[in-house]
Amino acid sequence: MHPFRFRKLLLLSFVLHFCMVYGQEILIEAESFDDPGGWVIDPQFEQQMGSPYLLAHGMGQPVQNAKTKITLDTAGGYHIWVRTKNWVPGKWKAPGRFQLKVGGTFIGKTLGLRSGWGWEYVDSVLVTSREIDLELVDLTGFNGRVDAIYFSTVKKEPPASLKKLAEWRKSIKAEPNEPPRTESYDLVVVGGGIAGCAASIAAAEQGLRVALIHDRPFLGGNASEEIRVHTLGIYGNFERILKKLDTEHYPNGSVDAKLDQKKRDDNVKSYENIALFLNHRAYEAKAEGDTIQYVDARHTSTGERIRFVAPRFVDSTGDGWIGYWAGAEFSYGRESVDTYGEDWAEHGELWSPKEPDNAVMGSSVLWGSKKTDREHVFPEVPWAMPVAKRYAKVAGEWQWEFSRPDLHQIHDAEEIRDHMLRAIYGAFYNAKQDTANANRKLEWVSYLVGKRESRRLVGDHIFTFKDAKEGRKFPDGVVIETRDVDIHYQTVLEDEENPDFISEALFYKTPEYYIPYRSLYSRNIANLFMAGRNFSCSHAGLGGPRVMRTTGQMGAAVGLAAALCKKYNVGPREIYTGYLNEYLALIEEQKFEKIPETKR
Amino acid sequence: MKFLLTFLFVFTLFLSNGGREFQKSFPTETYNEVLDRAPEYYLLEWKSGTRLLKKKADLFIEVDSFNAQEVAAMINENEDPVLYASDIATPVCADGECKLMHIRLYWTLLGEYAGFDTYPELPLTKHDHDEFQKADYEKLHKLLTDDKSVLKRRKLDQLVEKPIMRNVNGVDALSGATVAEVKESVVSGALYSCYVAWHLAHGNIRDKIKAYTLSILNTDMLMGMLYSKNTSYQLFALKEMDPSQFIEHHSQLVHIFKTAVPLVRSIMAKELPDKYQNSPDLQKPFWEAFSEIDIGSRSLLLRHLESAPPFVTDIVSTRLGALTKNQITVFLEFLSPKKHTPELLKNLRSFADSESEAYSYLVKNYLEEQEQ
Repeated sequence: MHPFRFRKLLLLSFVLHFCMVYGQEILIEAESFDDPGGWVIDPQFEQQMGSPYLLAHGMGQPVQNAKTKITLDTAGGYHIWVRTKNWVPGKWKAPGRFQLKVGGTFIGKTLGLRSGWGWEYVDSVLVTSREIDLELVDLTGFNGRVDAIYFSTVKKEPPASLKKLAEWRKSIKAEPNEPPRTESYDLVVVGGGIAGCAASIAAAEQGLRVALIHDRPFLGGNASEEIRVHTLGIYGNFERILKKLDTEHYPNGSVDAKLDQKKRDDNVKSYENIALFLNHRAYEAKAEGDTIQYVDARHTSTGERIRFVAPRFVDSTGDGWIGYWAGAEFSYGRESVDTYGEDWAEHGELWSPKEPDNAVMGSSVLWGSKKTDREHVFPEVPWAMPVAKRYAKVAGEWQWEFSRPDLHQIHDAEEIRDHMLRAIYGAFYNAKQDTANANRKLEWVSYLVGKRESRRLVGDHIFTFKDAKEGRKFPDGVVIETRDVDIHYQTVLEDEENPDFISEALFYKTPEYYIPYRSLYSRNIANLFMAGRNFSCSHAGLGGPRVMRTTGQMGAAVGLAAALCKKYNVGPREIYTGYLNEYLALIEEQKFEKIPETKR
Repeated sequence: MKFLLTFLFVFTLFLSNGGREFQKSFPTETYNEVLDRAPEYYLLEWKSGTRLLKKKADLFIEVDSFNAQEVAAMINENEDPVLYASDIATPVCADGECKLMHIRLYWTLLGEYAGFDTYPELPLTKHDHDEFQKADYEKLHKLLTDDKSVLKRRKLDQLVEKPIMRNVNGVDALSGATVAEVKESVVSGALYSCYVAWHLAHGNIRDKIKAYTLSILNTDMLMGMLYSKNTSYQLFALKEMDPSQFIEHHSQLVHIFKTAVPLVRSIMAKELPDKYQNSPDLQKPFWEAFSEIDIGSRSLLLRHLESAPPFVTDIVSTRLGALTKNQITVFLEFLSPKKHTPELLKNLRSFADSESEAYSYLVKNYLEEQEQ
């Protein structure tokens, strides 16, 4: 018997630009589809599962088909696999089911059923034409996901383990290690959150040629219209710059975030010497000795790669990726209460533990619904109920936050995001059982994880709660804050009946406090600055300055320091040891817009 | 600010005119010298037959800028304090009108809010003079129970003003969400009473009471806390107990481990090997509760796999279905061929073959790798 079931497929003739052909096999990256339809590109978990992927984020409504055209090496019989996963395995129908259409015909079975990322066999087909249409057909609207589609004449499943898969991907794409394009800058800033944007602006204003690499289409990170957290904290020394980037004090999750988005994007783009690389995600930083030589980044949909070379780099990735890849010292989790003397007796273990542990503040996924003038049905979501239980809500605020000791905020970010999606859909389903909510429909659910805490790179000074509590003054205290130190914990710790995705905040009222410049560069990587939540601090030290005007201050401070580094051809540390007065004078000087020569 | 000025003005008038009348009508000295029933709104357990007597403790609570009232210890037959109580009369002013609020507040040995009694003749009232109903008292009790209430960090005038939507330099304005949270947590029409009561219950009296308790703490009091269901008492006892007490009260500690909130359990999970280092038998009941406890505590317990007694491997391997994906991974990484007893292999194979277990594939992959 012939190994293939034969299907007649349409003959098409389009140019292949994204498929990597190797003999009789072809790998199609889902994120490179010509038209993603209603599917969205999700690059957040590339370091954990291997690639950006397409996500059917329809909030319960199946999304429009993703479509593309591919060219096979030869017509003939092919086996097809998709790399996917059932994001909630259990005793229910998988929530993210989808099907594959080849040449306009449904192929094989329903997909999205396997536990854990891996290859799901679709079917075998006879392709009568080298050029064919592919379509991903979402069946549920509940976050089905596709990383890649693989055609092969041989029935041999591609590798499963991440390491082998990465090697296999490289070989099938015949991709050399070095990206085909190299760009050189005075400063490379990775991460376009408020801190990264502020660093870029501050450096660009001092005449540096800056590359700003960001893995989303919009700037702002947690403040962007895709995550929608409002900015908090004070402006400190950098009001002029930060006002170009921050947000109004709308409720978290508000659609008003779109207004500030435009302001921010326009402002950053107005600097001619900021080369903005949106939709580019860094995937490697290479250090020789203690010096980073380059950062490599890949376009999140086309896969095009660029090598960024610079004398100095800013890690504003939030997760401290650049430092991590380069071998910078970092910390994660809670130090013991005695490590830095961070006791607050009133809250004891909730504030700072006797023994160190991996507990950290959690990630939020914001969402909202709206009343309409007609009834809306929301489907049953049995796979969400073990998380949501009886909790019923129509919107989420900052308290919708998830952290659990067995989950790492970086390694397990996808599971954390997915847990929050289950919480949201389940709580909304519960709310919909109340007839008062009959006309209510989901308006917006983010699919991006809004993180509070992850890796903290270690600098010459580790900023602690004690520094904040005592308002400790530093000669290089370039960041100023008055906001309470505010540490979150999961309320389930105090009562197991509470939902595990709701947090509570503990606020410690402090005097004005200062973050020294020495917390903004790496202790052991000579040309690495950091700005954002991955700056040098303890867990409790992060509690106050983790908000985005404060992280923006860090960015601006770093951008100015980078300008002096260039002027004297020195590393970040030397600004503190040799040029501190000039640096502080520069911070004063930049507070006001310079009057152009022509108007003096 | 406008409110505060009004408050001060009216309060001054109140003191100079009608204050004494109110004070007179409040029988603070005679009420409840003996407490032989649980307070009407109460957080702790009350054993029947308990009879507490009022005893001076030289503690005072500031009820307003001008007055402090006594906080008494409520002692048992051993003359150990069980609670602290204060009969409070304090002015509550709103919209230019002041009234006295009468309430008897109770605190735990650690100075935390424990409950309150009301006076039948002197009910709490709302701004419109309506008396509190049962549901209102219950809501007040719930509010006072929350030691992290949204009222904690806010001044009263911040709570009655409309939210400022722009967060200006140095001012942490209220968000709409906070206003909604305030509304949800206080008794409707009685924001001022709720605010005053919360700040009395959770003010600096807490530290004073705790300091007093510490100054007279004895073993009976400490054991009373260990055998309580109150989370703060459990945490306090765990911190203060000496190693011999961990052995002596082993059964109660196992009971706490199984029934306490995750915060308490997580601390026990962290410290378990230290406390029972040379007593595998005493460790066993904790490990046997492995599948019943919360995920976080289980992860903390798994940190001790390397130093755990040998029986732990078998216990965990029969409860793999209760583990999260990462916990299974941690356990498999801990296992090595030399630890593969026939019993363990049987348990692993059984889990790997299960079709209903979402993460059976992890164990299957592991076994395949081991067989290669």
